[in-house]
Amino acid sequence: MTLRRALSTRRGHRVTSQSVSFQFDGREYTAQAGDTVASALLAHGVRLFGRSVKYRRPRGVFAAGPEEPNALLTVGTQPCVIPNVSAPQLAITPQLITRSQNRWPSLRVDLHALLQAGSGFLGAGFYYKTFMWPSWRTYETMIRHLAGLGEAPGAADIAPPHVEYVSCDVLVGGAGAAGLAAALAAARAGARVVVCEREPQAGGELEFETATIDEQSATEWVSSALAELARAGARVLYHTAIVGGSDGLVIAHAEPGGGAKDNTVYRIRPQKFVMAMGAVERGIAFVDNDRPGVMLLGAAERYLARYGVAVGKELVLFGNHDRLYASAQRLHAAGMRIRAIIDTRGDVSAVTIGLRARLTGMGVECLGGHAVAEVHGAHGVRRICVVDLQAPGTKIFIECDALLVSGGWTPMLQAALHDGGQREFAAQAGGFVANAQPEWRTAVGACAGTFELSVLLTESFRAAAQLSQSVGAMGVVGRAPVGRGDTAPQLQAFWRSACTRAQEKRQFVDLQNDVTVADLRLALSEGFVDIEHIKRYTTLGIGTEQGRTGGLLGAAIVAELKGEPLSRVGVSRTRPPYQPMTLSSLAGLNQGDALRVTRRTPLHAWNQANGAVFEPAEYWLRTRYYRANGTDAFTAGIQEATQVRAHGGILDGSTLGKIEIAGADAAAFLDRLYLTKASTMKVGRSKYMVNLREDGMVLDDGIVLRLAPNRFLATTGSGHAEHMLSHFEHYRALEWSHRQVAITNLTEAWAVIVVAGPESRAALIRVLGEAWHARLSGLTHMDFSVSRWNGQTLRVLRASFSGELAFELHCQHGIAVPLWEALVAAGLQPYGLEALDILRVEKGYLVSSEMNGEATPQDLGMDGLVNLGNECVGRAMLGRPAFAEPQRPRLVGLRACDGKSVIQGGAQITLTTTDTHALGHVSSSVYSPALGQWIALAFVARDRAAPGTVLVARDPLRGTDVDVVVTSPVHVDSSSERMKA
Amino acid sequence: MMRLTCPFCGARELHEFQFHKTAPEPGANPFAAVYERVNRTDISQEYWQHLHGCRAWLYVSRNPSTGEVYQVHLLGTQS
Repeated sequence: MTLRRALSTRRGHRVTSQSVSFQFDGREYTAQAGDTVASALLAHGVRLFGRSVKYRRPRGVFAAGPEEPNALLTVGTQPCVIPNVSAPQLAITPQLITRSQNRWPSLRVDLHALLQAGSGFLGAGFYYKTFMWPSWRTYETMIRHLAGLGEAPGAADIAPPHVEYVSCDVLVGGAGAAGLAAALAAARAGARVVVCEREPQAGGELEFETATIDEQSATEWVSSALAELARAGARVLYHTAIVGGSDGLVIAHAEPGGGAKDNTVYRIRPQKFVMAMGAVERGIAFVDNDRPGVMLLGAAERYLARYGVAVGKELVLFGNHDRLYASAQRLHAAGMRIRAIIDTRGDVSAVTIGLRARLTGMGVECLGGHAVAEVHGAHGVRRICVVDLQAPGTKIFIECDALLVSGGWTPMLQAALHDGGQREFAAQAGGFVANAQPEWRTAVGACAGTFELSVLLTESFRAAAQLSQSVGAMGVVGRAPVGRGDTAPQLQAFWRSACTRAQEKRQFVDLQNDVTVADLRLALSEGFVDIEHIKRYTTLGIGTEQGRTGGLLGAAIVAELKGEPLSRVGVSRTRPPYQPMTLSSLAGLNQGDALRVTRRTPLHAWNQANGAVFEPAEYWLRTRYYRANGTDAFTAGIQEATQVRAHGGILDGSTLGKIEIAGADAAAFLDRLYLTKASTMKVGRSKYMVNLREDGMVLDDGIVLRLAPNRFLATTGSGHAEHMLSHFEHYRALEWSHRQVAITNLTEAWAVIVVAGPESRAALIRVLGEAWHARLSGLTHMDFSVSRWNGQTLRVLRASFSGELAFELHCQHGIAVPLWEALVAAGLQPYGLEALDILRVEKGYLVSSEMNGEATPQDLGMDGLVNLGNECVGRAMLGRPAFAEPQRPRLVGLRACDGKSVIQGGAQITLTTTDTHALGHVSSSVYSPALGQWIALAFVARDRAAPGTVLVARDPLRGTDVDVVVTSPVHVDSSSERMKA
Repeated sequence: MMRLTCPFCGARELHEFQFHKTAPEPGANPFAAVYERVNRTDISQEYWQHLHGCRAWLYVSRNPSTGEVYQVHLLGTQS
């Protein structure tokens, strides 16, 4: 195989002579350090890089940047792959393994392509229209297997990106001629400047331009501009694309070498943003314009200039502007053979006639007023068919192995259309350019539709100088750089060659998504007239390419088919990110352990060492059960609950929310926020209290302790502390800002050990010692006492969430573990959430399954509390008639009629086994060891909620219907004799 | 990303704040205050908390169509 590099006399400024190797589709290839996979494979004469997503047509490299529609590769080996990496951007690194996509079993022979050869082409919506019987779902799995771009990784293997926050006065997007001129002006004015350039080097098109700037060659000017920027302290970020942003924030993404291995996300907050992101060359539609070897002209120039690679031996250039001729001269000078230049323009300027004459003298056939109609060669261009636009019947055939196309340049408006930025049609650009923008940013250069070097240098320099002044950078900027030797490209719009209706199926508009002219015609005939609808129906402009090379082309052909001007048709909006990013990059630092806080109690280590099985509860890790007590959560829960009722147990309740409310107005403040009054409570007493939302629904419940006349401790549900804290602070700010209320979250300041069971008092006295004897014996239900144990503060509250005689020990962290161990030594067995749930359902106590945001206090049986008449937040809403309707569900208990069936949580309550109208639902259900059967808490319509009513708990998902009887929600010890013992 | 200027902390990014709800119209009856929320596109009066900052509760007026923030002040300091 001849190395295409050998064909060119250029060295390529990005590559060195050092040799590296990489793998593509299982084969080893050598490359030069600095090569990308695209340039290296092109150098080896490889033309086939993948197959297309829908028709599995063979495809080669089309572009030289992120706009590449065809040559997308999968990097790595499963499970750690990154799909859809653009080969022109993928730098060769040691042990790089790459694979082509959309082919099976191999790139050369694809089974799906063979199958399709028989069936012809599938129009837009083909799958949805065809696979309708018996339903789309029958076929979906199979079709999904064939569809989609690349393969998803089986495992995550990407380190989180670096995330950097940047602020600056002027951000310049793009370091081409316009961007550099703008950056120079801003830096001279004294602004803090950041420049983002997605290529590894500055210069943009100047890379191969023959023009001069400030009497230097273009590349010399780029070097001196960069040196000046460096002296001025400007920061130039290479490999860094502007990918999105909004509301004054610009997101840039750096991915040196492609493949997401070592990437950085910049969150840039500029005062002013100069968009100089340039334009991307677009193609022209003709029959079989997707064949390998058909490539953008600018891409061929880049492969030559950067890597010294000739993309073909025998070239034909095809386009609609003057730049064809300068390109041809450069390619020719590098030793490539130019067979012909096909220029669609018949009527051209004297300058162009001169250019043609010069090239004709070099042996290049120049055909003005002609167009390429068709390409021959299935796996790569072999020959092209050219027609005279004035005499369509005449055909000329030219042998070649590469056809370089240029249909003009499409301004990259991605960033310009965020935040209400506008675009307008510009005839001289043949497309849409940025216009009215929010005041903090401006578009310059090709983005704004200026393609002529001398003009864009001046314009962008002046625009940046003005923006810098507006942010206070008043330095002298001097004169703008002067460009010479470059003229406007004299573009004449040309979108597609004439062909038959049948051939329109092979005139490709969007290469990545296999959208053809026939698809656009079909979409229009089926009534999809808006460009956004056409996009969604045909997939024009979706995927990684986002319409960069094909979007405007598609819109122009729609305009032609509709007989409307392109300016009215418009182009579809593109979506961020500008180039593909992994989900990991989008997530930034919010992944893995950093995604969410995990809180552990002071007893966590002890629990862990003693066989606790943990369960996440909001941010906390809580003990579900202890392994020693059963083979699984169900059996251990029953054992632990039985033990509590028989003797006693201890529970790690440190997750209990604890909020201190202090100050002269604390009591009045709590009166306002709770359904019952706190102000009537004596110091040393506590009270079960309930909060309402402003709409009257129960928000939370807990015990409020009066620690001192002006100091209360409000406990909240585990995991509710943050929310309740915000709730308290909200009302303090809203209504109490002039009063004295201090709110402090003490949740993590205190460990809590719950001691429950008939033997709890005796065990506690043994552990705490004789000094506590009288205190504990004297504590009545809801009393608390504060003293010290082992030198630290200990508060003992007599309160129960299990229905047993029980104490909450609020202690400082230092004594939590010794106290817990002493209680274990005193014969109390630790229990977890499973047992806690059994005990509280048996006693009819509530958790968030019942306080679910849809239940009023009356629904939960708290009529007594409501009737006390305290005016609190939410109370005004409780009188709404709907809350008293007979169908409104209220809390009841349920048991199975047969005394043994399982009642499933979430089951719907109906009248009969065939009824589908739900009267309510089961909110909590447990197996009760105290009763020897399943019991539940449920919501049932008030008019069906009388104890003794027989109903059905239907669970269609799990296929069970259980006859149940309504009971009181309190299943065990309804007179609270045990609790008050 | 939207920024709000906290009276204590200065301009901070959106993710430091938590939106609570749109503020009821002044003098609205309890039912209207809870249920009859206006949904204006030109100006929206909202309650926010600088939750991952100084925890101040804020009253924010902004334009939901353009993202422009007109005013941020401490809740309770101004009627």
